[in-house]
Amino acid sequence: MNTTAFALYMLVFFALPIPILAWFDRPRARSDVEEE
Amino acid sequence: MYSAHFAAGMALKARVPRAPTWGLLVGVALLDLLFGPFVLFGIERASLTPGVSPGFSLDYIDWSHSLLMSLVWSVAFGLLFLRAGREVAMVMGLAVFSHFGLDFIMHPADMALWPGSDIHVGLGLWKKLPGGWWWVELAVVAAFLNYYLARAKRDRSFGGRAWAVVITIVILHLLNAPWISALQ
Repeated sequence: MNTTAFALYMLVFFALPIPILAWFDRPRARSDVEEE
Repeated sequence: MYSAHFAAGMALKARVPRAPTWGLLVGVALLDLLFGPFVLFGIERASLTPGVSPGFSLDYIDWSHSLLMSLVWSVAFGLLFLRAGREVAMVMGLAVFSHFGLDFIMHPADMALWPGSDIHVGLGLWKKLPGGWWWVELAVVAAFLNYYLARAKRDRSFGGRAWAVVITIVILHLLNAPWISALQ
């Protein structure tokens, strides 16, 4: 891995979890709660 | 640190549920989101050190990670959220600055006080505990996520899938383990 690849790796490594975690953190919809 | 930044973001969300989650997560990651492009454009420098913990050397990170610039980024990011209220703006700024605080524990003395300063700070757990730092970070992650889970149980305005958040952050921490990471 060279420095450019390292910089891109760090960028993706830090950016990718953001939408995933934000999506999981959303409040549950009323329909989801009723299903349970 | 890596996963602990995201865990800190979720703990801040639990503290101020009105703050947007995406904003907090961008905040806690901001210094490293800046670091990547800064290296690509030659503003900052890093080199790889295969076999030597943590697998890379941050040779010049004064514009993304120095104490002064961390404060500048924190204030600038917080101001972007001023319309959402003072509390939200403050927690956004704190999210950004938490990155410096957590990195201070791990980084060897590579974080300058200000760009160009000769004084660099960092406790250096990455170097002092080549395998042990991962467990220290796990303890920090556990503390933050414990707080997040406890608050999410009581407040239904966030944490709809709180356990998925916890599992995701634990997976991120595993991916960053010295015996797995692509950087080692």
